[in-house]
Amino acid sequence: MSTPAIVVQNLVKTFDVRRRPIRAVDDLTFSVHRGSIFGLLGPNGAGKTTTLRIMTTLARPSGGSVEVFGYDVVKAPLEVRRRIGVVIQEQAADLLLSVRDNLLTFARFHGRAGPAVRTRAGEVMAQFGIEDVADRKVQDLSGGIRRRVQMAKMFMVDVPIVFLDEFSSGMDAILKRSVMDMLRAQAASGRTIVLTTQILTEAEELCDDILIINHGRRVAHGSLPALKQLVGRLHEVTITFDRVPDALPAIVAGYAAERVTVQHNTVQLQLRDEEPRVLELVLALARHGRIQHLEIAGASLEDVFVQLTQQPEAQR
Amino acid sequence: MMMTDALEAVLVREAKIRATNSLFIFWDLLYPLGYLLVFGIGVNASLGFTSGLAGVDYNAFFLAGVLGMASFGIASNTSWSFFLDRDNGIFYEMLTYPMRRSEYLLGKVLFNELVGLVQALLTLVLAAALLHVPVRFDRLPLLIAATLVGTAGWFFFYAIFALRIRRNDAFNTVTSVFYFVFLFASSMFYPLDPLPRAFRIAALANPITWQIDVLRYATIGVGDTLSITIEAAAFVVFTAVSFAVAIHALTDTG
Repeated sequence: MSTPAIVVQNLVKTFDVRRRPIRAVDDLTFSVHRGSIFGLLGPNGAGKTTTLRIMTTLARPSGGSVEVFGYDVVKAPLEVRRRIGVVIQEQAADLLLSVRDNLLTFARFHGRAGPAVRTRAGEVMAQFGIEDVADRKVQDLSGGIRRRVQMAKMFMVDVPIVFLDEFSSGMDAILKRSVMDMLRAQAASGRTIVLTTQILTEAEELCDDILIINHGRRVAHGSLPALKQLVGRLHEVTITFDRVPDALPAIVAGYAAERVTVQHNTVQLQLRDEEPRVLELVLALARHGRIQHLEIAGASLEDVFVQLTQQPEAQR
Repeated sequence: MMMTDALEAVLVREAKIRATNSLFIFWDLLYPLGYLLVFGIGVNASLGFTSGLAGVDYNAFFLAGVLGMASFGIASNTSWSFFLDRDNGIFYEMLTYPMRRSEYLLGKVLFNELVGLVQALLTLVLAAALLHVPVRFDRLPLLIAATLVGTAGWFFFYAIFALRIRRNDAFNTVTSVFYFVFLFASSMFYPLDPLPRAFRIAALANPITWQIDVLRYATIGVGDTLSITIEAAAFVVFTAVSFAVAIHALTDTG
C-alpha cells in the first residue's frame, strides 16, 4: 500500500488573543490517502482553515507535525510547495493582468513556460468557459469569472495535491457541477484533493474520506457510510398522500420519530429505527391513506454533521 | 525549481503588472528630473541658495538628494504592492507557490531596481546636459551600486512595515511620517554642517544620509573617501538587516 499523501500528527496551533492563548487546532491526527478526495469539515471557527494553512505552509504549527508527500511543512516548505496547488477561500487573482496572463504567470511559478503552456492555457480556459474573456483584465470581470480564473489555475500544472478552501463559493450551479466532475476525474487519475466546505451536499457527493472537527479537535473520521453508522439508524421518510390520514399522530406515536412535519399533503418523518420498523410504519400509514409518492433515505451528511458537532464530547 | 526560475517568475509578473500602466512608468522615470528642475532650479534661482560647498551650486548639490529621494519613493511604492496583493487575495496564494520567501522579496524589488537604474541614469544625463551639473561619469559604477543597494535597502525596510501592518490607512500614516523624518532629517536638501548639533546627530544616524553622501560622492565628487566608505558599509549593513527582518515578517505572515 502506498504511503499517505499527507500525514498530520498531534497538530497544535495556538494564537494569542489579548494575551490569552487560544488553541485553534488541538492535537489533531489524521492522514490523507493518495488519489482520494478528502473533506475537512467543521462548523465556523472549528479550525479547518487554520489546519489547511498549516498544510499549505502558510502558517507554522505550534506543535506536532505535518508531512506532505514525506516532506515536513516546517523543515522543507519549498518541497511541499512544489507539490501543491491551493485555492484559498478569498478570491485570489492578479486583477491588473489578463485572464490568460493569470494562468501563464501561475504556470511560470511552477517552472512551466513556452508554447505548450500557452496551448494548455487555451484548453483550460475553454473548460472553464472563460476563453471569450482571455485577454481582458481580471479587474473588469465579475466575481464569478474571477473565481473561475482562480480554479482554472489549478489545472495548468500537474501538482499531485490540490487544496480547495470553500472552492464553490461564487460559482453558479452549472459551473459547480462541471468543476465537481473535473475534480472526480482528477482524483481518478491519481491526484489528491483536500477540500473544506460548508456545503455538506458537496462533500457528500465528492469525498471518499471525511474528517469532522470542532474546536480544533477531531470529532469523527471515515468514509460517508462509516460516519452514518456513527449516528445510528436514522431515516428520512417523505410521503405524499391524496389526503393526510387523520390517524397520522396516533400511528406515528408508536415509532421513534424524532421529527414530524406536515406540509399540504406531504409528511416528512425523521426516524431513528431499524429498516423493517420503518417499512412497517409506511405500511400502517398506507392502510389509512392513498400514497402518491414515497421516498426513504438514510441519514444525510448534514444530519451526521449536526449530531456529531452538537453532542457533548463525552457522548462521542 | 531553481532559484532563478522563481525570481524570473516574480520579475515577469511585476513587469507585466507595471506594463499595464505606461503613464505610471513614464512618471516613475521622469519624476526625479522633474523634482530637480522645479525644486532645484527654483531654490537656486529665486533664493540664490548655494550649497555652502566651494564651487558647488544648489543644482549640483541637490542631484544626489533627488536620486536618493527616487530610491526612497520607488521602495515606498513597491511596498504598497503588498497591500494591493493582499486586497486581491493573491498575496496568500503566492506564498504557497514554489518559491522561498527571500525569492519573493528579491523578485519584487528586481523590476524596480531596473526602473530605478534607468531613472538614475536618465536624471544624471539630463542634469549634465540641461543644468550643466559637473557630473563625474568616471564614478558611474559607484552610482549604479548606490542606486541598486539603496532601492533594495529601502524596499526591504518598508516591506517590514507593509507586512506587519494590515490596515492601508495605518501604513499610509507610517509612510507619511517616514517621508517627513527621513527626508528632512538628512543631507538630502541641505548640508549638515550649519545645522544645530542635535539635528546634525539625527541626520548622521539616518541611513538616507549615508546613501545620499555616497551618491553625492559618486555624482559630483564631494566627500572624503574614508567617511564615504564607512557610510557605504553602514548602508549595506542596514540593507542586510532590513532584508533579514522582512523575511521574518513574511514568514510570520501566516
